[in-house]
Amino acid sequence: MSGWILLPVFLPTIAGILLLVSSFREHLARTDGMPVFIEDKEVLGKLHQFTAIVLTVSVVLALLAALSGDRSVTLFYLMKDIPIYFHIDEVGRINAVFTSIVWLAACFYAFVYMEHEGEEKRFFGFYLLVYGMLMALDFSGNLVTLYFFYELVTLTSMPMVLHNGTREAIMAALKYLLYSMLGAYMGLFAIFFLYRYCDTLEFVPGGSLNPQLVSGHETILLIAVMSALIGFGVKAGMLPLHGWLPAAHPVAPAPASAVLSGIIVKAGVLSVIRVVYYMVGTEFLRGTWVQTAWMVLALLTVFMGSLMAYREKVFKKRLAYSTVSQVSYILFGLSAMTPAAMTGALLHTVFHAFIKTVLFLSAGAFIFRLGKTRVEEYTGVGKQMPGTLWCYTFASLALIGIPPASGFISKWYLAAGALDADIGVFRYLGPAVLLISALLTAGYLLPIVMKGFFPGEGFEISEKKEAAPAMLVPLAVIAALTILLGVLPGPLIHYMSRIAQALM
Amino acid sequence: MNPVYMAVAVLLPMLGGVLIPVIPFGNRKRMLIYIETLVLANSILVFSLLLNRPDGHVILFRFTQNLTVSFRIDGMGTVFAGIVSVLWPLATLFSFEYMEHEGHERYFFMFYTITYGVTLGIAMAEDILTMYFFYEMLTLVTLPLIMHSLTREAILASRTYLYYSLGGAAFAFIGMIFILVNGRTMNFTWGGVLSASSLGNSITLLPLIYVLCFCGFSVKAAMFPFSAWLPKAGVAPTPVTALLHAVAVVKAGAFAVMRVTYYSFGTELLRGTWAQNVVMGLTIFTIVYGCSRAVKETHLKRRLAWSTVSNLSYILFGAAIMTPAGLVGALAHMICHALIKICSFLCAGAVICKTERSYIHQLDGLGRKMPKVFLCFTVSGLALMGVPGLNGFVSKWYLAAAATDSGNPMAWAGIAALLISAILTAIYMMTISLRAFFPGKDFDYSTLSDIKDPGWMMLLPLGLFVVGMVILGLHSEPLITALESIAAGVQ
Amino acid sequence: MAFVQNFPFMSIILSLFSGPLSTVMDRKKAKIINTAVLLILTAMSAAVLVYVMGTGESYVYTMGHFPAPWGNEIRVGVLEAAMALFFCVIMLLCMLGGVLERELELEESKENLYYVMVNLLLCSLLALIYTNDLFTAYVFVEINTISACGLIMIKQNGRTIEAATRYMIMSLLGSGLLLLGICFLYDLTGHLLMSNIQQQVRILQETGAYHVPLLVSLGLMSIGLAIKSALFPFHTWLPDAYGYSTVSSAAILSSLVSKGYIFLLVKIFFRVIGFDIVKNSKVVNVLFVFGIAGMIMGSVSAIRENNIRRMIAYSSVAQIGYIYMGFGLGTTDSVVASIYHIVSHAATKSLLFVAASGITDASGDSTSFFDLTGAGYRNKLAGAAFTVGSLSMVGIPMFSGFISKLLFAQSALESVNKMLPTLIALAISTILNAVYFLKTVIRIYAPDRKLASEKHFRTITMADQPQKAAALILFIILNLALGLSSQPVIRLIRSGLSMFS
Repeated sequence: MSGWILLPVFLPTIAGILLLVSSFREHLARTDGMPVFIEDKEVLGKLHQFTAIVLTVSVVLALLAALSGDRSVTLFYLMKDIPIYFHIDEVGRINAVFTSIVWLAACFYAFVYMEHEGEEKRFFGFYLLVYGMLMALDFSGNLVTLYFFYELVTLTSMPMVLHNGTREAIMAALKYLLYSMLGAYMGLFAIFFLYRYCDTLEFVPGGSLNPQLVSGHETILLIAVMSALIGFGVKAGMLPLHGWLPAAHPVAPAPASAVLSGIIVKAGVLSVIRVVYYMVGTEFLRGTWVQTAWMVLALLTVFMGSLMAYREKVFKKRLAYSTVSQVSYILFGLSAMTPAAMTGALLHTVFHAFIKTVLFLSAGAFIFRLGKTRVEEYTGVGKQMPGTLWCYTFASLALIGIPPASGFISKWYLAAGALDADIGVFRYLGPAVLLISALLTAGYLLPIVMKGFFPGEGFEISEKKEAAPAMLVPLAVIAALTILLGVLPGPLIHYMSRIAQALM
Repeated sequence: MNPVYMAVAVLLPMLGGVLIPVIPFGNRKRMLIYIETLVLANSILVFSLLLNRPDGHVILFRFTQNLTVSFRIDGMGTVFAGIVSVLWPLATLFSFEYMEHEGHERYFFMFYTITYGVTLGIAMAEDILTMYFFYEMLTLVTLPLIMHSLTREAILASRTYLYYSLGGAAFAFIGMIFILVNGRTMNFTWGGVLSASSLGNSITLLPLIYVLCFCGFSVKAAMFPFSAWLPKAGVAPTPVTALLHAVAVVKAGAFAVMRVTYYSFGTELLRGTWAQNVVMGLTIFTIVYGCSRAVKETHLKRRLAWSTVSNLSYILFGAAIMTPAGLVGALAHMICHALIKICSFLCAGAVICKTERSYIHQLDGLGRKMPKVFLCFTVSGLALMGVPGLNGFVSKWYLAAAATDSGNPMAWAGIAALLISAILTAIYMMTISLRAFFPGKDFDYSTLSDIKDPGWMMLLPLGLFVVGMVILGLHSEPLITALESIAAGVQ
Repeated sequence: MAFVQNFPFMSIILSLFSGPLSTVMDRKKAKIINTAVLLILTAMSAAVLVYVMGTGESYVYTMGHFPAPWGNEIRVGVLEAAMALFFCVIMLLCMLGGVLERELELEESKENLYYVMVNLLLCSLLALIYTNDLFTAYVFVEINTISACGLIMIKQNGRTIEAATRYMIMSLLGSGLLLLGICFLYDLTGHLLMSNIQQQVRILQETGAYHVPLLVSLGLMSIGLAIKSALFPFHTWLPDAYGYSTVSSAAILSSLVSKGYIFLLVKIFFRVIGFDIVKNSKVVNVLFVFGIAGMIMGSVSAIRENNIRRMIAYSSVAQIGYIYMGFGLGTTDSVVASIYHIVSHAATKSLLFVAASGITDASGDSTSFFDLTGAGYRNKLAGAAFTVGSLSMVGIPMFSGFISKLLFAQSALESVNKMLPTLIALAISTILNAVYFLKTVIRIYAPDRKLASEKHFRTITMADQPQKAAALILFIILNLALGLSSQPVIRLIRSGLSMFS
């Protein structure tokens, strides 16, 4: 009996739906379109309590489920011979763990932050709902289940983007929805062919391609895989379909953009891993034009993302471009198809989740307290909100990859893996691009630190406006994690490389 | 059951319909009760027929000694008759509230009910002549429904409809004659009634004749380049657009195409010929074309009509794959799309009826005022996009699975078309839902103050359709098993 | 010899002499006499039909007991008797349907003349059907032409006179060609009696002598009759003649006069030359091409027409095209289809003319489309009848037109070369028919937005025009009967054709 592993899926889902229904009922009674602010502190407290309890319980259950070994459960048959099937394996486990941690932290942060955005009920409703969907996505054991929850994640996270109800936000949400759908459909295109050419749609480490069926149809299968890479790459912000990301992430409320950038883009990464390493297998892809094209796209994205971030002046947009660039590090690592690069990619998945959460949450804190959105305005923020800026600084260092912060470890493995791989000119080109991008990363993240702490002469120091503890504590915890994981990476590296070995 | 009941099921609504303007009802309510009872009774009759399928056939009358109009129920007929008889009572119920303000109710319901019988005639036709006979009848009895408002626009639309439909039938006629003369029998037989030996020299003409016949029947299914009539016909009252132009009439076209492909011409002789490529190419193009036009369209009903154009070609695409699996996909989509599209059309109808707004930019903020309607609309939109868990995904899956299995590169391109169409569907459906639920921060709801959800007669069908979509989406196995047995020729 | 066998001869004589009788009567009595004669002829033809069907074979009636080759003969088979019966019935219904217009449109003194013409026309038609002698046939062709001209001209206005003149010129050209053909044939065979000619032709064919003159003769006769029956492109006289004459004339002309010539052509094919020879000559191909062209072009002209009567007239051009296409296909089945189409078109076209007159009556006597809007509501029966006629023309199942379309298409599949053009032409022509007929149907059921009083519109019920109503109802029944139980008719045509040779 492993049915209980689905509790972290159902519990937040049901709670989220309850909140949404209640929120919608309130709206029906109203005559204007302005966001609802809960004035009554007691009601708000109850809402927070409810959300916190549900989420904590779910997270605990999720961690229990993730750590309790390889369990599987078949929910029902969606179609003839295709069940909704959950199976917890290594990759899913990692994703579930870091998702849970970030989700919980951002939730506490959001309790304070959302006070000035309003519509808390709706926000937390969707927040819980998306968590449930993500858990299901992480735990899914076959491709159709994955696709099912991939779509649902898109649909349920979309309302978080349009939260503030401005025209810009609505358009961004629409863009997000349509890009993601397009990506999902490109993925679906591949799923149809994988269904035909693989022995099973269940995830099998190393893939389950049936050589007899494939022979003669290699071209179409390669096209299908490429389509899946680009399609699922949409969520991961890979060129050429990255356009939604700089539009959607900045307009969302900070906790939402944190999880969008830190976690939900990883849904794309997870899907790519599933398709490449658990369905098709590296054997079939290695040395084909698909690998080359994928690598080129990933490297281009790495470089372009950094460059765009460097040129961007709106702080949250800069971070969004940074996400574009960083997630493609992961994709590049995956495309190299060597154990070391794979280890690096998995590590970077985790590290980037934490780092980007910190960055967005601190950006949110600045906006929340100071109302500053453009980087030029950040001069001297270190004097006003030193704690927040310190967290930001640690995360920045980690993202740039300065030892001993975590980003260094993952980038090291990525570069080492690329050098190992039999990928022609990319053996050198890849690490070089990563290096240039790291420089650019420093270029777009550190000026804020410097200007923040050292506003220069003639800067009038206004009074301290440090973020509320409820915001600062989650921020600090995750920021500490980003450093800590860099200092003590041993067990994690060991675990990841074991996975990577098993998949090659 | 006695085969005679098949004839009863076809004739009952026709006669009952003709009587509507004649019977002195006294008041409106009694008339509505009469109509609903009639339709419901007939649906029950059809269902008992489908469940206890009669063995024999029944001959309605003879044109000549061996040209008869006769009925027999087989697996495919069951599918279509089943769809029609489920949807008809519900759509009729919906139309009671809608038609209150449209006038000429008696004539409307007369033709509406007659159409039921005619559609059943197509579903239960035993042979190609019977199908053709009812196919032509369908054109004629639905014409007054399009003309109903008698505005200039309606009359032009009905004219276009008539020209297209009769023109299509004229070309389908060629195929019918070919089958009548060259076939072993004119009855529908799984695998077709033609054989290379019996055709002799005419086999060179077979692909051409098939293309003509396919195009002819697919006029009703609004395949490009014969699709222009369908959006125009949207001037009809919404119950007509919903039931006839999303289900009965257009599906009759698709049904006829499947019949002639699998049961008359036979896929053996056609697979791999240029005819297959031509028709498949047309359907693939239509799939994308219909969606693109839907995206461009700003009128709600016309947008849905273009969406129908695209989705009907999904069905035709399934038929054009010419494998049993393709038929499964096509039939599955026929069922799924029927549910989805009638639901979204009825939602549109509810909006038009209650607010008299028919352009999409006028729908801002209505989601809060008519939450139930727009919830149903959103679900149907999601299903149309093919979000898993709803029925649209199921049929899309089987269509695509059939296409990959067929090993035909053109069919592979068709899969891409399906998915392009899905993303376009997301664009044209989700923009509506987003608008309705999220009109933007500074939207003034006071302009919508006296708008609210419609009454139970409209909401009940909508709710049932949504439930149907979810159930079929989550538990499609029995349906697919049944369809697979049809496509295996077991019936 | 059974007494019934005399009926064909008697019916010709009766209709011939009732004409002069009408001239001395006043109009009322003339009308009664005419109706009575028509009824008697119908009854006689029916009796003959029953008799021939009973015996199952044709018989020859020698006039004045002079044997061939000097005497004149009448030959009666199933097909002849059936045609005679059918022509009488249609004539009766047309007269019934046009009775009101005749009172309104004709000068009082001319009405007697009208009955004379009708009787003469019927006489010539019956003679054309029954005669076994080519020269007799020619004589009655001329009589037919003259009386038809009278029918056109009798509604005296500039247009009908012009139309009649045109008709006269074209018809005389046709007759001339026919006469030439007959002369050639006489020269070749030395006979005028059909059966004798056929024997000689067969001998000629076997010896291979005079192949070209025989072909020329066949071509001349075919073209001559084609001109007379308004095969495209010799149809220019037709729209005016049908469009402006009085209703019963138009109905009779369109459904009977041209059909008489076509029937004569069938007889020439089967009884004079022999269908085997015709089939293998190039003449059928010519007829096929012109038939198809007529099907399309007639309909195209009809679409461009804004006058309902002229539109129906142009539709006749298309329908004649169908018939000639059937001949052109050159199989027995296709000729059966053509003959069936003669029947079905006659029934439908006269229905349409009468119904159109009912519609125009309700629209201030205007035949222009713009005034017809909503006429279906003002005259319900005429509207319904027009709809039935239109649907039949388009070839909707249940109506007679569908059966002829079916027969044409089926017979087309027998010939490999002509199959595809025929099928495509049928399909296109169906669409074109749908365009102009159903456009009209939709128009007469579209609501009229202008004030009715402005245009002297009136509402007409069945009680206002009982004769027309009766005619319309009978026509509708005839049409449905032909559409729903066509089998006996087809069987009859088949057995009749087999008796020909």
